Amino acid sequence: MILLSLLSIPLAAAGLIALTRRRALTELLHLLAALATLGTGAAVVAQVWNGAVLTAAGDLLRVDALSAFMVAIIAFLGAIASLYAVGYIRAEFDGEHLFRARLFFSLFHLFVFTMLVAVTTDNLGVMWIAIEGTTLATVFLVNLHQTRSSLEAAYKYLMLSSVGIALAFIGTALMYYAGAAKAGEIAVNWSALRAAAGSLNPEVVRLAFVFIVVGYGTKAGLAPMHTWLPDAHSEAPAPISALMSGVLLNVGLYAMMRFKAVVDAAVGQEFTARLLIGAGLLSLLVAAVFLVRQRNYKRMLAYSSVEHIGIICLGLGFGGHWGTFGALFHVVNHALSKSMLFILSGNILIKYHSAEIREVRGLLHAAPWTGGLFLAGTFALIGLPPFAPFISEFIIFRAGLESHPWAAAAGVILLVIVFGGMLASVNRMLYGEPPADLPRGDTLRVWLAPLAANFALLLVLGLTLPSPFVAALVQVLRVLGV
Amino acid sequence: MSVEALSKAVNLLAFAELGLTILLIVRTSLEGQVRVFGLQSFVLALLSMLIALYSGSIELFGVGVALVVVKGVMIPRVLNRAVANIGLVRVAAPYLGTAPALIICGLLTIIAFYVMTPIAASNPLPTADAIPLAFAGVLIGFFIMVNRRRAVTQILGFLMLENGIFLLALLSTYGVPFIVEMGVFLDVLVAVLIMEVFVYRIKDNFDSIDVGELEKLKE
Repeated sequence: MILLSLLSIPLAAAGLIALTRRRALTELLHLLAALATLGTGAAVVAQVWNGAVLTAAGDLLRVDALSAFMVAIIAFLGAIASLYAVGYIRAEFDGEHLFRARLFFSLFHLFVFTMLVAVTTDNLGVMWIAIEGTTLATVFLVNLHQTRSSLEAAYKYLMLSSVGIALAFIGTALMYYAGAAKAGEIAVNWSALRAAAGSLNPEVVRLAFVFIVVGYGTKAGLAPMHTWLPDAHSEAPAPISALMSGVLLNVGLYAMMRFKAVVDAAVGQEFTARLLIGAGLLSLLVAAVFLVRQRNYKRMLAYSSVEHIGIICLGLGFGGHWGTFGALFHVVNHALSKSMLFILSGNILIKYHSAEIREVRGLLHAAPWTGGLFLAGTFALIGLPPFAPFISEFIIFRAGLESHPWAAAAGVILLVIVFGGMLASVNRMLYGEPPADLPRGDTLRVWLAPLAANFALLLVLGLTLPSPFVAALVQVLRVLGV
Repeated sequence: MSVEALSKAVNLLAFAELGLTILLIVRTSLEGQVRVFGLQSFVLALLSMLIALYSGSIELFGVGVALVVVKGVMIPRVLNRAVANIGLVRVAAPYLGTAPALIICGLLTIIAFYVMTPIAASNPLPTADAIPLAFAGVLIGFFIMVNRRRAVTQILGFLMLENGIFLLALLSTYGVPFIVEMGVFLDVLVAVLIMEVFVYRIKDNFDSIDVGELEKLKE
C-alpha cells in the first residue's frame, strides 16, 4: 500500500501541476508533492530497514534493501532539489514564462516517478521501460532554456540514450532467454532469475552482461558512452543537473548492479570484474583529460561525474566485501556532493550570467555563502578529508590494491591528475577581483538552506561513519550476494 | 503447421526484414524511407502472428496487432507529417556513399553471424536459426544512425534498430511478456513524438535538418 502511494504521489503531482493556471498554486502543489514523496519514501525505507521485503501489485513491485537504498537517495535529493528549484525557477522564468515554469515542475515529478518505478520493480522489463522513461521525462528539461546549445545537447541526449538503452534491452531479452531456457519457468523477474542463477546458460549470460554494461553504462555515463553527459548535464537547469548527475546516473548503475548479482552467481566474479574495471579506468582517464584546463564550470562538474561513476565501477569491479561496500558508500557521497555543487552552479550562473570559468572572479568575495559551500563541495569531490568521499575512495582503493593492484595504482594516479585540474579551476573562480559592476551578496541565499543537510551529512559520514549507516549498507551487500 | 515449415517461413521473413533494413540505405527520398520502415513493421507483425499461431499464444498475437497499429500505421504517419512539415530542405549527404555503406553492411552481417551463431546453436526453438539475421539488422540500424546526417533518417535508423531487437527477442524466446512489450511500444511512440518536436526545433534554429551542424558543444 505504502509502495503504491510512493509511486502515485509524484505521478499525480505531474498531472495536477500541468493543469494549474496560477503560479502560487503550481509552487504549492510542487512543494507538497516533494515533501509527501520524501515522507512516504522515508516510511518505505524504514520498513525495509526493519527487515521487511515490501511487495505490491502482484510480483511487479518488490523493494529489498538495495531498492530501499536507491529510494532513500531519490527521495532525499529529490526533496533538496525541489526546494531550491522554486527559487531558481522564479529567478529564471519570471511572469511571462509561466508556461515553461509549469512544464518544469510537471516534468520534475514525472522524472522522479520514472526513477522510483525503475528501482522498485522486480520485473527487469518494466525496469527497462522506466529507465527509458527517465530519458523521455528529462529531454525537454535539458532544452528548457531553448538556446541552440541546449537544443543540441537535448537532441544528442535523446538519441544516444535511446540507442544505449535499446542495447540494454538486448541484454535483458538475452537474460530472459537464459532464464526461460533453463529455469523451467519463464523468469523475467529479478528475484526468480537470481534464484535460478546457478542453472543459467553461461555463454548467453556473458553476452547478455556485455550488452547490459554498454546499454545501462550509457545511462550511467561510463566512458566511452559518456559523450552526451557533459552536454546534457551542463545545459539543463541547475536543479535538474543536480538530480541527473547526483541521482539518475546511479539509477543506471543500479540496473548494472542487479544484473551483476545474477551474472556473478552464474559465471563467477572475474568476468564482470574485468568489464567493470576496464570501463571504470577508461572513465577516469577521459575525465582526467577533460578536467585539466576545463573552461566551463558546469561541464567541469559533469566530467567529474564521469570520474566518480568510474570510481564506483572500479569498486564494484574490485568486488568482495570491501570493494562493494566502498562503491555503495561512494554512491551516497557522490550523490550528496555533486547535487550540492550543481545547485550552487545555478546560483553562480544567475549571478555572473556565464558558465565560463574565466568570467567568474572573486566568488568568495562576491557571494560568500555560495563560494564557501562551493569550496567545501569541491574539497569533498576531489577526496579531501574530513569529507566522506575521502573515506569511500580510500576503502575502494584499499580493496583494489589487494585484488587488482595495477588497476588500483593506475586509478590513484588518475585521481591525482583530476585533483590538480579541478582545484586549479575552482581556485580561479573563488579568488581574484570580482567585476566592478557586480552587486555584492548571494543570490537566492534563503533557497540554499537545504544544502546544509548535504554539507552536514558529508561531514558526519566522513568523521564518524555511524554504525546504523554501516549496518544499512551491509544489508544491501547481502542482497547483492557479496 | 510443421516445425520445418515454420522454420522455413521464419527464415524467409527474417531475411526480408534484413533486406528492408539495407534498402533504407539505398533509398534517398525521405518518403521512400518512411515507406520502407512501415513495410518492415508489417513483415515483423506477420512474423510474430505466424509464431503466435504456431505456439498458440494469444498474448503474442496481441503483440503482433499492437505492432501493426503502433509501428505499421501510427509512427509512419507521424514521420510523414514531419517530412511534410519540414518541406524542402537542403539535403545532406551521408558521410559514406551507397557503395561503401553496402560493403559495411556486408561486414556487419558477417560479424553478426560470428557473434550470434553459437548462441543460436544452443537455442532449442525452431526459430533460432534466424537469430544472426536479426542481430545483423540491429547492427545495420545502428550504422544507419551514425552514417546519416538527416535527423529524420537517424530516427528511422533508430526505429529499425528497435525492430531488429524486437525480432531478436521474438526469435530467441517467442517474445518477452505482453506487459513489457506494450510498455516498450509506448516508450518508442513517445520517443518518436519527442524526436518529431526536436526535428522542428532543429529546423527552426539551424534552418536545416543536418545534424552535422550540431557541433557547438565540444570539450
